[in-house]
Amino acid sequence: MKRYDLIVVGAGPAGLSAAIEAAKCGLQVIVFDENANPGGQLFKQVHKFFGSKEHKAKIRGFRIGEQLLVEANQLGVQVVLNATVAGLFQDKEITVRINDGIYHYKGDTIIVATGASENATAFEGWTLPGVIGAGAAQTMMNLHGIVPGSKVLMLGSGNVGLVVSYQLLQVGCEVVALADAAPRVGGYGVHAAKLTRTGVPFYLSHTIIKAEGSDCVTGVTIGAVDKAWKLIPGTEKHFAVDTICVAVGLSPMAQILSAAGCSMEESQSKGGYVPVCDEYGETSIAGVFVAGDVSGVEEASSAMIEGRIAGIAVAEYLGFIDKTVLTQKTLELESALSTLRQGMFAIENRGKILEKTDEGYDVSLHLLQKGYLTEEEVMQYPGVTKQQGVHAVIECSQNIPCNPCQDACPKQCIKVGDNITSLPVIDEAAVCIGCGLCVAACSGQAIFLVDENYEDGYASITLPYEFLPLPAKGNAGWALDRSGQKVCKAEVVKVNTASAFDRTNLLTIKVPVEMAMKARFFKGGDCHA
Amino acid sequence: MNARIIEHPILGKIEKGRLVEFSYNDTKLNGYEGEPISAALKAAGVMVHRHTQKQGAPRGVFCAIGRCTDCVMVVDGKANVRTCITPLTDGMIVQTQYGVSAKNHQGAEERS
Amino acid sequence: MRKINDRSRDLGAFVPADDDQMIICRCEEITKGEIRQAVHDGMFTLTEVRRYLRTGMGLCQGQTCGKLVKGIIVRELGTAPAELEPAFSRVPMRPIEMKVFANEQEVQGDE
Repeated sequence: MKRYDLIVVGAGPAGLSAAIEAAKCGLQVIVFDENANPGGQLFKQVHKFFGSKEHKAKIRGFRIGEQLLVEANQLGVQVVLNATVAGLFQDKEITVRINDGIYHYKGDTIIVATGASENATAFEGWTLPGVIGAGAAQTMMNLHGIVPGSKVLMLGSGNVGLVVSYQLLQVGCEVVALADAAPRVGGYGVHAAKLTRTGVPFYLSHTIIKAEGSDCVTGVTIGAVDKAWKLIPGTEKHFAVDTICVAVGLSPMAQILSAAGCSMEESQSKGGYVPVCDEYGETSIAGVFVAGDVSGVEEASSAMIEGRIAGIAVAEYLGFIDKTVLTQKTLELESALSTLRQGMFAIENRGKILEKTDEGYDVSLHLLQKGYLTEEEVMQYPGVTKQQGVHAVIECSQNIPCNPCQDACPKQCIKVGDNITSLPVIDEAAVCIGCGLCVAACSGQAIFLVDENYEDGYASITLPYEFLPLPAKGNAGWALDRSGQKVCKAEVVKVNTASAFDRTNLLTIKVPVEMAMKARFFKGGDCHA
Repeated sequence: MNARIIEHPILGKIEKGRLVEFSYNDTKLNGYEGEPISAALKAAGVMVHRHTQKQGAPRGVFCAIGRCTDCVMVVDGKANVRTCITPLTDGMIVQTQYGVSAKNHQGAEERS
Repeated sequence: MRKINDRSRDLGAFVPADDDQMIICRCEEITKGEIRQAVHDGMFTLTEVRRYLRTGMGLCQGQTCGKLVKGIIVRELGTAPAELEPAFSRVPMRPIEMKVFANEQEVQGDE
């Protein structure tokens, strides 16, 4: 059978990153993936990533996938698709199903990067056509070019539920509601805020009672739950929907390792049954490593770094590089990984109710329960200042490792600092030129340009806009506030679609000056009523 | 509402392969060569892919990634084909699956 | 050493619930009530319930119902997830037809 220095199972972000690093050290690498397309879940991610430049911040997921593939190709990494690894056996031999045959391969080292699969939650009617996973909605929209439904209810307020809800809006679906049995939004506040300002209502502490329909979903009833997860009678709410999206977490797909006799552990914070491994990803089976979600559910950014660490570690294991090189190369990567694991959403903070940010500002409970900051709350954050003329207003209120705003500003108006979980601060001494680069660079779409001196009695608001059809200069419509309520009439005075913004169009609207700190979204259409 | 995305705000204009004809039960439908069968069916408004063995309950796409097997149909005479990951071909014969085999019996009857 | 379930424990009588008819294993159409009843019938581990009811033995091989079934068993036993021995995983990792499994192929460039 054919022997390779390294066999990688899974061509997602972790697997490809591992293959790239190993190939750079001179290893002969082959990657097997059961899917017809490589990249794992990366190609479905149309949103901009967080983190810092080294984490590929402000770059859309699918572009990162494209970069990885190009790099892997250039390094001579073999990627075999439609190839299902059927099992991992003694002496690191694997069997692979390709078409209608079984093939044997031998790896001197193996990296398992099989990722994680979506969890399910049962409720009455959940087997009806029209109930789909949130990942399914993403696959349909971003890979198949199909609209999943016209009216959707999203269950789950973690980052997946929030991000996919926004993507549903982007393809023209109406997200009638977002529900979660938990009392607080599980994902980033900024992901929630960009939904609520378009008018999506949040129902925390609500669960699905029943999905209705005979052949497919035609409606859904949700109801409030108390602290003991019991339904509170009389709180039922009904929505006419044709689609129910379920985003209730992911579980590592580590079965191939448990079948191979790997030491495993049950870990709730990691998402389920995971292999025990060291800091390089080596499991209890010598020469078998893991990287990415299979070793603990996190995100693509951390998966890529873990992949790179594992790729370098196998190179050292086989003697292609020595220990000092391993330590030197992984030091920077370990540091990048730990940066991602800090802040409000760090594992050690899960389940905790943080009342203050690291800096001592109040963490908004309203944001966590309703999905948006109140006007009063927003004023306290260091990214929100009152100034003459145009200036950036950064409605960023949680410690998340993220700093593209700082790098984007050509006038150094925005400071995040060395600790990238810090809230961005507006330097009032710096002069804003209104270029809008920060607005486009913010992956959370939390930055606005506000000019209260635009015209006599009018302010201008420049906001990020990623929908079609794109409004045009002169269009009249409504300005919506953070909760999605219409607050005043608005007129589009400028539309900026520079390629540097990477599809985050900048819409500038004119509103009465007293609305400057209220208006945060634009809805075109007739202004009567 | 058109179930197909013509232009996506981030991905731009959606490229498709050539238009082909396939049969779905007694009718003829169009779809794009190479796209998953389930995508062509969804575009045509088809939601029910099969009826279960025991209860005759309707099922359709659930995971869209080839994992849950709820979208399986009888394709070119072969049962249990996962339509969400199987590419559409010209002249394909796609039928609603009843139960766990290619036999076409209506309703929830005794196990075949 | 796997943790052993105390089989002498008294679970009390099976109490019917409103959601007993809810399908949990989608492939084999097994309901929540059937799973809970199986525990009362003496099936205390994931593997036993699987062999008794066929949950997780359908076309998707437990990909969808696995965690749900475990949660129901854990609650019925009044124990914690970590106490239950994990479900057994065996090759092949995905369902493969016998004719394919038997179709051994040579890779080009064998040693």
